Amino acid sequence: MKRRTAGERERRTAARRRGNAAAVLLTPCFLVFVAAMVAPIGYALYLSLWTERSSGLGFGGAHQVFDGIGNYSRALGDSAFRHGFLITAGYCALYIPVMLCLALGLALLLDSALARARRFFQLALFLPHAVPGLIAALVWTYLYTPGISPVVSALNSGGIHIDFLSSSVILPSVVNIAVWEWTGYNMVVFYAALQAVPREVIEAATVDGASGVRTALSVKVPMIRPALVLTGLFTVIGSLQLFTEPMTLRISSNAIVSTWTPNMYAYSAAFNRGDYGLAAAASVVLAVVAAVLSFAVTRLFARRSTQARRARELAV
Amino acid sequence: MPPHPIAASNRVRRSKRTGAAALACSALSLALLGACQGGGSQTGGSTSSGQPVSITFWGWARGSQQVVDAFNASHKDVHVTFEQIPSGNAGGYAKISNAVKAGNEPDVFNIEYPMLPDFVSQGAVQDLTSRISGLMAKFTAQSVALTTLAGKNWALPLDADPQVFFYRKDIFTEYRIPVPATWDAFRSAAQQLKTADPAARIATFFSDDPSTLEAMAWQAGGTWFGTSGDSWKIDLRDAATEKVSAYWQSLIADDLVRVQPYSSQAWTASLQKSQTVGYLGAAWGAGALKSALPAESGQWAVAPIPSWDGQPASGMLGGSVFVVGKDSKNLAADVEFAQWATTTTQGMQSRIASGISSLFPADPALIPVAKSTFNTGFYGGQDIFSVFSAASGTIRPDWTWGPSMGVTNTAMTDALGRLAGGGSVDQVLQAGQDATVADLQARGIQVAAP
Amino acid sequence: MTITQPYPAPTRTRRASPAAAGRRRARKPWTLSRAVVNGVLVLATAYTLLPVLWLVTASAKNTGDLTGGRGFSLSRLHLGANLHALAAQDGGIYFRWYLNSLLYAGLGALVCAFICVCAGYAFETYAFRGKEKLFGLVLIGVLIPTTALALPLYLLASKVGLVDTFWAVFIPTLANPFGVYLSRVFTAGYVPGEVLEAARVDGAGELRIFWSVGLRMVLPGFVTVLLFQFTAIWNNFFLPLVMLSNTRLFPVSLGLYSWNSQTHTEPSLYPLVVTGSLLAIIPLIIAFVALQRFWRAGLTAGSVK
Repeated sequence: MKRRTAGERERRTAARRRGNAAAVLLTPCFLVFVAAMVAPIGYALYLSLWTERSSGLGFGGAHQVFDGIGNYSRALGDSAFRHGFLITAGYCALYIPVMLCLALGLALLLDSALARARRFFQLALFLPHAVPGLIAALVWTYLYTPGISPVVSALNSGGIHIDFLSSSVILPSVVNIAVWEWTGYNMVVFYAALQAVPREVIEAATVDGASGVRTALSVKVPMIRPALVLTGLFTVIGSLQLFTEPMTLRISSNAIVSTWTPNMYAYSAAFNRGDYGLAAAASVVLAVVAAVLSFAVTRLFARRSTQARRARELAV
Repeated sequence: MPPHPIAASNRVRRSKRTGAAALACSALSLALLGACQGGGSQTGGSTSSGQPVSITFWGWARGSQQVVDAFNASHKDVHVTFEQIPSGNAGGYAKISNAVKAGNEPDVFNIEYPMLPDFVSQGAVQDLTSRISGLMAKFTAQSVALTTLAGKNWALPLDADPQVFFYRKDIFTEYRIPVPATWDAFRSAAQQLKTADPAARIATFFSDDPSTLEAMAWQAGGTWFGTSGDSWKIDLRDAATEKVSAYWQSLIADDLVRVQPYSSQAWTASLQKSQTVGYLGAAWGAGALKSALPAESGQWAVAPIPSWDGQPASGMLGGSVFVVGKDSKNLAADVEFAQWATTTTQGMQSRIASGISSLFPADPALIPVAKSTFNTGFYGGQDIFSVFSAASGTIRPDWTWGPSMGVTNTAMTDALGRLAGGGSVDQVLQAGQDATVADLQARGIQVAAP
Repeated sequence: MTITQPYPAPTRTRRASPAAAGRRRARKPWTLSRAVVNGVLVLATAYTLLPVLWLVTASAKNTGDLTGGRGFSLSRLHLGANLHALAAQDGGIYFRWYLNSLLYAGLGALVCAFICVCAGYAFETYAFRGKEKLFGLVLIGVLIPTTALALPLYLLASKVGLVDTFWAVFIPTLANPFGVYLSRVFTAGYVPGEVLEAARVDGAGELRIFWSVGLRMVLPGFVTVLLFQFTAIWNNFFLPLVMLSNTRLFPVSLGLYSWNSQTHTEPSLYPLVVTGSLLAIIPLIIAFVALQRFWRAGLTAGSVK
């Protein structure tokens, strides 16, 4: 009896010690988590319910009044804000397929037996990722600017006149910057995943007489679905945050209006209009849309990949 | 160090200590603050200890650095630290309002006339009436009117530039195009130029900057903003402005003017290639053209802006004022610096002598200073300041800026960006109207039906 | 697009046997020709490299050559003059921005990675009530885009008076839910439970075990999180843009942005923006080239599990 109690006490002490250790190790994480995520969102939620009111001609200062969902209805009722979401949707529709196909295609080419100098190609294609987004945007802005850009003058001397900064071409111009920044990175991710595909599977397909292209599309691609899913998820989240590139291009192109993306709308509300309630409401809407969308993407792909795994397991 | 319990408690103690230190610090700064205030209330601006008062100044007007250097060299009691910021719409205003919210606003900064009501209604600038009301008699009537809101003086005006027309004299002469005195003649001149050289255009309609459109509405006799009792009257589409809008819409539709962003690479390139041979600008643009187009020295000239009825008339285009941040504790020093920069011979001289500034002083007594200091070789020695002076006398008196020009201008700028994609000048004006009314209503400010 | 996309390890992967590569060569010929495959790769490489090469040549040009669109020629090299102008502009503030960036990114990533590894280790090693719920919270954090947080952070910081301070940019970079998730995966992969048990039997305290055993074993994971966070902070633009108005606190990205906003009125800033951009990416490119084996390992991280 006595011995058991002692053992129990020992176990309990050990458990408490571990509990303490867990608390010590987790506390900093949750402190910064609260400071950098929970508190700002909470405060934005609070602020989004208030608005500033002045009286008379407006030169007598302003005071805060509770406005309920007033800021939300102003934001959602503003066609500029809704237009920002439309532009983001257009951006996603163009950027995501182009970038993912390019990255996957290049990864498959690199993974093929025919590629040479794999190490060099990987590094060279990955290089743009080492360039900060703002600098990438600056460099491309200059490459789009007539007078500075060798690309534009080369096209001009070839008889092609494209104004990359005009309103009809600006969306592809922004997409191009993002494609340049992210294709190589995701290509390396896909390539790494392809390297991990068991060679037996590929050999089996080859023995069956499948061509290289066919093996790539029907054997390799399904095998790296988890990598595709995660990359897709991060790309969607990233796309919703579109800010740096258009803000930079905006200095040289007036086709990008101050409210071009939802993030820019929130920024403009805070800094051009000094309307913090509206800015807070716009940020909250954006954060909610982003969270819901990425949750949906995860669920959608997770289900598909479970199905795919099951199918594979059945096949084996 | 591992995050050990003992270490952790040490850390707590340490942070308590820093807390105490911070308290002591703030007590100290309170004392200092009191000292500063004491210093500020003295007329000279220097502290009792004899140390110069240090103030900060933000601006982007050309030649500001030279003005600050000259001021610091000639003043022992005040030292100004200058920071060049991006121009207002390129991020300068965002930066200032950010600093206002953060409570570290500069002591003195420049803004353009239209933005003054915004800054006043945000409570971001100090009422200077008691210190500068005696100075206001020095300045042109318009610049005084635009800096007096609700009966108080809020700013010292730096320049009051009438809109004028810059043109390539050599090309106008070559094609025998008369310099237009009316807008009808301007249209014919544009036509004549395009016929003579299909690649050339007479001027640019700036697709990113509503201020030129505003100056032309002003010139035509428009009044966008007015008050009646305690409510605002907002009418960006009054009859005079509709006339301006229709006129420019037709020039754009007939491809008689270029549509490009102001100061863009494309605009500069087309000036360099002599494909754009005119510029509807203001006095301050004289220095800008000169530094952007060194190869075209001697080929440019300045004329009054064309008018609607042949009677010279002009609107103001651009122009900045000096304001004092709401938290500045050195009011005396702030005003001393701003006054020196706007009303003294040395202040104006140091700015114009930089060679890049050509602004038209809001204090007419300084016009001779600007005139004698600015090298007009670029304009073939033309007496351009006399043109500015004459134009200055024709500025219509009854224009006021709205209470929310940040919103108005942002909306108009965004709409201007859509011109190339099929938008119209009317839509630009309507966008400004709608955004302004919506913003005022959201802020609880009365808007009277137009 | 300022988030990094660290790839969390595919959880179930198998390595090809060493002989596989040899066997691969014996396969039937592919339908695509070698020339086509390598040609496409060369084209893609040209696309990724040319903008960087343009930056290199452009930074050797003066304002006139740059904006006049003149081609690159060795006889008109102005790189030295540009560097000199860069060092002189606004009292050499560019190099201050550079140091600021190193401080924000270096110190921020170091502290952040440590916090992440502590938490990831705790989540993996200890059992406590509500653990998976807490971890679920962390996962929700992954879904919230960082730039959607920038403005709320600004609003909060202006409430508590932190706007325009070092801390306003530094503190938010310490939180990285994805880093916590990665650290948990890494701990599971690198730190065998038996080793920890053995240390406990030896009578070591829990924190001591973490410090001298756990942290050491999970070090490669620590460095991965650190590098991801370093690039994320170095890339971050929105947060400093809203938080800072004092140019002396700017990181390089914001400084270059503000110069670029002034190029219209001050064309002499064009070469400075270009040269400054080049200088800002050189250390990153060197780091990526030098650490390439590491980066590849980082991107395949989970395969060790």
